[in-house]
Amino acid sequence: MAEQDTLIEQIRAHVEDKLPALDGIVALRRTSEGTASYLFHEGDDLSQLVLNPRYPLSTTVSMLQKRFPEARFGIVARGCDSRALVEMAKRNQIDPDRLYLLGVACTAEEAEECHCATPAPDIAQWPQAELLGTPVEAGSPNPIVAEYDAMPLEERRVFWKQQFSKCIKCYGCRNICPVCFCEACALENPAWVEPGVLAPPFPTFHLIKAMHMAARCVACRQCELACPSHIPLTVLYDLMRRDVGRMFGYVPGDDLEALPPLSLTLE
Amino acid sequence: MTNSVPEFSAYTECFLITGSNTTEAHPLVASHVMEGLERGAKLIVVDPREVQIGRLAHLYLRPRPGTDVAWLNGLMNVIITEGLADEEFVANRTEGYEELKQVVLEYTPEQVEEITSIPADDLRKAARMYASHKPAAILYAMGITQHSTGTDNVKSCANLAMLTGNMGIPGGGVNPLRGQNNVQGACDLGGLPNVYPGYQKVTLPEMKEKFEKAWGVTGLSDKVGLQVTQMIHGACDGSVRALYVMAENPLVSDPDINHARHCLEQLDFLVVQDIFLSETARLADVVLPGTSYLEKEGTFTGTDRRIQRVRKVIEPVGDSRADWEIICQLGQRMGASGFDFASPKEVMEEIARLTPIYGGVSYERLEPENEGFLQWPVTAPDHPGTPFLHKGKFSRGRGKFHAIHFKEAAELPDEEYPFILTTGRLMFHFHTGTMTRRTEKLHQEVPEAYVEIHPADAARIGLDGQKRVRVSSRRGEIELAVRVTEYIKPGVVFIPFHFAEAAANALTHAALDPSSGIPEYKVCAVRVEPVSS
Ligand code: SF4
Ligand code: SF4
Repeated sequence: MAEQDTLIEQIRAHVEDKLPALDGIVALRRTSEGTASYLFHEGDDLSQLVLNPRYPLSTTVSMLQKRFPEARFGIVARGCDSRALVEMAKRNQIDPDRLYLLGVACTAEEAEECHCATPAPDIAQWPQAELLGTPVEAGSPNPIVAEYDAMPLEERRVFWKQQFSKCIKCYGCRNICPVCFCEACALENPAWVEPGVLAPPFPTFHLIKAMHMAARCVACRQCELACPSHIPLTVLYDLMRRDVGRMFGYVPGDDLEALPPLSLTLE
Repeated sequence: MTNSVPEFSAYTECFLITGSNTTEAHPLVASHVMEGLERGAKLIVVDPREVQIGRLAHLYLRPRPGTDVAWLNGLMNVIITEGLADEEFVANRTEGYEELKQVVLEYTPEQVEEITSIPADDLRKAARMYASHKPAAILYAMGITQHSTGTDNVKSCANLAMLTGNMGIPGGGVNPLRGQNNVQGACDLGGLPNVYPGYQKVTLPEMKEKFEKAWGVTGLSDKVGLQVTQMIHGACDGSVRALYVMAENPLVSDPDINHARHCLEQLDFLVVQDIFLSETARLADVVLPGTSYLEKEGTFTGTDRRIQRVRKVIEPVGDSRADWEIICQLGQRMGASGFDFASPKEVMEEIARLTPIYGGVSYERLEPENEGFLQWPVTAPDHPGTPFLHKGKFSRGRGKFHAIHFKEAAELPDEEYPFILTTGRLMFHFHTGTMTRRTEKLHQEVPEAYVEIHPADAARIGLDGQKRVRVSSRRGEIELAVRVTEYIKPGVVFIPFHFAEAAANALTHAALDPSSGIPEYKVCAVRVEPVSS
């Protein structure tokens, strides 16, 4: 706890130092009204800058950079934020040259809770970046994936059918995803997914989303945390990441230079 | 609710959900139920429609609409005859058990099957499942209350919970899921014809005196006022000449709306306060623009008696004003004293002063760094609030069993109108659609009204692939799209009531529950005919 306290103080001090040279820094702000992403400016109350609850910031950065094409923003980024920004950059949703990344290493407990493989941003690949905190070991792998691997095919179908029958089509998993950005979403296209029925049609709704996440999902686990129906969505996405890794040797979020294999195949 | 929503994920071992399309109408409550299910809790759903949560149930029972007292008595019959009742609770904390027993013993599973069409063995299984998992929570919504026997249905739910000792414990109880974000708050603060804030009866002389003194007035009425449905009738017979409607849209939500429209047209003066020009507002002499939740300060009280702050994010748009400001200004311009509040916070101070169950509520305590929320009763500044009611003792002392016999709904199907119509809500729309039907994404999900009908019934009426039908009752008719689905019980059709242009309430019956005044939205007789396009 004490370590965390000093980390947040370090972050606030760094943000204060950097603000004069930037058009603002994106981070989480907690007020009496709740916690939300916020663009900090010089003079803002930095005691309101927090790291929890986790909330992905890449889409906020993307929106701001598009709205202000000349501006230079900073971001307080965890490992998952950094990985998401990498994938967004490859798809022209953010401009790395106009971004200062203040990386934060997650704690061992956080890494374990998220079963995270890379619990700190790899700052070497960013044009302007720093890292605060000490990177820790990867968390253990998601145990449900191993359980799932042990299931025969028919059981897997039953598992997903049961899980997806709980879905209330709130779109929360899509809305929170840090690498989801299309304006016209296939999940809202009646040609793909019949509108207005609950649970949404099995398996199209969820598998279309999963296919679109291939070579893109950075394992931030936000979708699973957001799901009001407690569907273990990360099992689906972990498996997808594993397959993309095996087939194309591609790990989303790892390397700003590597081009996503599916975009290449399609082009 | 006697209990709190988070108890469902934490403690409940068995859910009995009836008359509630929980995932669609109360998704956040459903989230806690699902977490409870992941933990291994059992789920029994009793509903004429196999709503989404019904498809997740361990036991799903499908009664004929309007027969709730019968199957609830049937469950108690099995529990008593199989010795599954909580005898200690019954002996120490209740009264009226012998009378109850006498009545429910008449409702054997076989007899209940005849009335409700629930197979006798399913009823037995449900009774055993509910009685042998503790704590067990009953969750219900409008499917229980919106009947001419709504009060009987609710009392029967309470009987069942008391019989099994599921009162006054975390994770148990009888839990009506209230729909709108603040309907609980509106009732708490006297938005009912018979009470002052905090359910203090207007008929009691000491209450009259208390409020006259507090408000510096004399002559407050000690008579019970009119229920909503009585006001509409009053408009027709001339006993009500002016009506002030706030954030309601009776021309879509009232039963038998053709009649309701006729009544409102007789008024001398109609004022509507809303954020959009609703169907009712179109009829008004004066429209007062209110504000949305993003434009005002105040509190909302949720279904589990949870008082929370709502905060202004943007200034009111255009000429709109917060509801409390409009009301206060009206009061002032009418020359009344006691309306000179400077903020909702000051209003809450008065509420706390005059309302014992809100006595310990203050904006300070509602700040996130303090308690963040409070659940009433919270009687003093140092009272912690009450997550679940009736611990150790009921408010009236002993819990009273009500021995209740089953009564049929007011209007049953016959040759001319052979189907039962039941109405309800959808995930993608809210109430009369005043807000959600103006939202593009939600409109895309469900752009128009439809009626659900079972495949066997579709064949019976000769639907033959046609996409539209005419549904008529003794009160009106509408044309709308049709969805053929096995999720509805044969002989029953379902129409969501969100759609003004094909309003389910053109068909519904204005029969009222004698004590609550709730209309029978869930049962009336209709005819369904294909329309060739
Ligand atoms: S874990 Fe979920 S939210 Fe995060 S990137 Fe993958 S799909 Fe998106
Ligand atoms: S967050 Fe969960 S319930 Fe909502 S759409 Fe995604 S899977 Fe369905």
